[in-house]
Amino acid sequence: MVSGKDGERAKEEFLAEAQELIEGLSRGLLELDTGIKQGQRSPDTVNDLFRGVHTLKGLSGMFGFERLGRMSHVLEDMLEDLRLGRVELTQQVLDVLFEGVDNFQRLLGDPAEQASVDVETFSGRVHGLARSKVKQHNILEEFELDASMLGVLTEYEEHRLRTNLEQGLTVYRLRVRLALDVIDTALDSLKERVKNLAEIITYLPSMDGGGGDEIEIEMLLASKKSEAEVRTALGRPDAKLSSVERRKTAAAPKPLTAATPAVTAAAAKESPAAAPAPAAAVVAVKVEAPSAPKKSAAEGGDVSLRSITSVVRVDIRKLDHLMNVVGELGTVRAAVARLVERLRAGAAPALSSEAHRIHRAFQRHLAEVQESVLDIRMVPLSQLFDKVAVVVRQVAREQSKEVKLAVVGAETEVDKLIAEELADPMMHIVRNAIDHGIESTEVRTKNGKPTTGTLTVVAHQKGNHVVIELSDDGRGIDSNVIREAAVRKGVLSEQAASDLTREELLNVIFMPGFSTAREVTDISGRGVGMDVVKTNITRLGGAVDIDSEKGGGTKVTITLPITLAIISALLFEVRGRLFAIPLAVVQEALRMPSQAVRTVDGREVITLRGTTLPLCRLAELFALGPIADDATEHYVIVVSVGNKRLGMCVERLSGQQDIVIKGLGRSLAGTPGISGATDLGDQHLVLVLDAASIIEEVLLPRAGVLAVGVAT
Amino acid sequence: MSQPQVKATKNYAPEPTEEGGVREFLAFVVASETYALPLSCIREIMRVPSVTPVPRAQREVLGIISVRGQVTTLIDLRQRLRVPAGPTSSRTRVLLVDQGDEIMGLLCDRVQQVHRLSEKEVELASVLGADAASYVMGIGRPGQGERKAESTAEERADHDSEDEILILLDPIALLKRQVNHG
Repeated sequence: MVSGKDGERAKEEFLAEAQELIEGLSRGLLELDTGIKQGQRSPDTVNDLFRGVHTLKGLSGMFGFERLGRMSHVLEDMLEDLRLGRVELTQQVLDVLFEGVDNFQRLLGDPAEQASVDVETFSGRVHGLARSKVKQHNILEEFELDASMLGVLTEYEEHRLRTNLEQGLTVYRLRVRLALDVIDTALDSLKERVKNLAEIITYLPSMDGGGGDEIEIEMLLASKKSEAEVRTALGRPDAKLSSVERRKTAAAPKPLTAATPAVTAAAAKESPAAAPAPAAAVVAVKVEAPSAPKKSAAEGGDVSLRSITSVVRVDIRKLDHLMNVVGELGTVRAAVARLVERLRAGAAPALSSEAHRIHRAFQRHLAEVQESVLDIRMVPLSQLFDKVAVVVRQVAREQSKEVKLAVVGAETEVDKLIAEELADPMMHIVRNAIDHGIESTEVRTKNGKPTTGTLTVVAHQKGNHVVIELSDDGRGIDSNVIREAAVRKGVLSEQAASDLTREELLNVIFMPGFSTAREVTDISGRGVGMDVVKTNITRLGGAVDIDSEKGGGTKVTITLPITLAIISALLFEVRGRLFAIPLAVVQEALRMPSQAVRTVDGREVITLRGTTLPLCRLAELFALGPIADDATEHYVIVVSVGNKRLGMCVERLSGQQDIVIKGLGRSLAGTPGISGATDLGDQHLVLVLDAASIIEEVLLPRAGVLAVGVAT
Repeated sequence: MSQPQVKATKNYAPEPTEEGGVREFLAFVVASETYALPLSCIREIMRVPSVTPVPRAQREVLGIISVRGQVTTLIDLRQRLRVPAGPTSSRTRVLLVDQGDEIMGLLCDRVQQVHRLSEKEVELASVLGADAASYVMGIGRPGQGERKAESTAEERADHDSEDEILILLDPIALLKRQVNHG
């Protein structure tokens, strides 16, 4: 039993780790993609990817994820080919790699998703690519490199040497004597010095110059720097540095096959004699390929070690539990506070002041705990934006469009849960922006726009909210087209449609009846399912707005609370029942100016500081009792979400309190206007209202409602 | 403050496992009929806590209750089984039933006892004809077997004849997700 439980936990650990590895892979692939576009090669990234897949393969085997293991194996082979230069890194190859990562993702998903992965077919495609390996002309033969030296290089080292020469970097041969007793540290410090300006292709002991307690090391370095610069950086005047020259004649090239393969380092013994090392005037070898900035070759081992530093991975459910306990503690604290009050009123003043002091300390520490727990749950939006980048690339390739993604504010933090729930809506918006927003290269050129479309994602914190703006410079949406379409579809009456402002018309896109209409999709330039986007974001207590100009692009703005867990809420009563509403959406609460209530177009409004505020009688909306009148509803709570405001009429205000919102069970999930419930500490639950969905319901005309309204 | 509740598995189940075609059912009364649910799906039996009504929920949803911090939906079995509403009493209980994806509370008038029914004590719902409600799994006739010695006189009084009838309910069909605004 226990082992089963442990096994389950280990499996969860594995899934979490696999997830992390896969996310790392997808980041790496994006780096490669950027590299390719800038004509740059990134051997370190390929190595990282290779290591990641290799680790994943090992883990899958250990935990019996057989398909995941095979998938890793296929990708590992492919990355190995890439690493060794057997396969050229092209967009086609990258497509397959991205597909592989997507397959990983699905293999970790639910059974249906898992079943959708066909490892065999994928494997076939990979091998197809591998067969179309590039035939390389042997650049090594053009350089003064002797076979005995080449013979001891591993396949990977040889590939790196070749690549560096092809890219026009200078290859240097460095010989240096190091004392045997400090060889480790001396070698390390040497590597450290070289690392920043050159890639170390290989290093071997060269017995030849070694005497007694010294050993001569021979290194092959590749660098863009001049010999003088490299020499200075080495800081060792005794080191012998020379560049590897291009052969005078391309005749009589020593065929590589002639070199003994897989010879041990000892074989290098004979080599120095043959090695032409013109230590004198050094001329950098230039090859035609444009030189590209190169990262230093970091040792792989170091990297993976560093990544495990001081981070602990925690299941979000454990944090949820902790958060619940902290919430309960808050209610205990409230009970203690009441007790202290009673003491104070009673006959023990000395005791009461001490109790008061202790309570204050308790309160302070509890607030700290609360804050820390909240902080632990926060993750940077970059986690999400990385995924967006993958989708952008993928969709752009599918559509053969050129799209550049610009991200600002990826470090902005939100609750982990929000980041996760936000993924689907974001993907949808991004996909739509590329599918329907950004024009083809030809159209863009014709319209005088830059051929590459730009998708900009900007995130920033605004009070207790995070605002994410996704904008594209595509064709935009014509609000007149929406108006016509909405009327034709019977979603809006002609009258209603002509009353709507441009902004309101654009928001019609989020209406269920509208956006699922296929015909409209094509005309409006926006995809199916924007209503789902809206529903998901609303469920998180957020709001979504759209703005667009015909020809000038579209901007979708998502406003979300930073955290869902503990929030400050305003408590109030309607018909004797207590409700709570997040303080974050409350602008103000005011006494009902009963004589100032007017009725405009069947809707009650008041004038608040010169602007019109629509009212909503909660007792009516929720059918809590007889029709409300001003005699019982003394207060108006002004709530705002996005740029919409609503006054909610209530009977009594009952103060504010920090609450832990708990979701309703599945049977009640999705009840309109209610986002959850909270326990105020007396085992009695209080419903928490969802301001966004109430505003939505009251202010935005629902398809059916409007149509009926017109018919009568 | 400890909650007044009973762990069903501790006090009601004579034996935790099903064996040889014998299944355990918890019998309870709603209005004038005796119903029974498989004991395996009952998590707890508790007194009626403070209930918060949920506006716009279905009629059979009485509201939500807090069960050790978990928000739990409470269903009125009288509504669900389409029998007239009745008053609550000191014997009214909430059954916490695990329906698969969610644990829900069911309000019943009174909990009776656990019956162990063999195959021959269970008639399939098909005897009721094609239009029987989907949540009726069958009819239990514990009278076919030996009557439980420990049943009290009072419990016996619930039944007019020797032939006690249990309406066996299928928890999944009974509590399957209902659409809001139904």
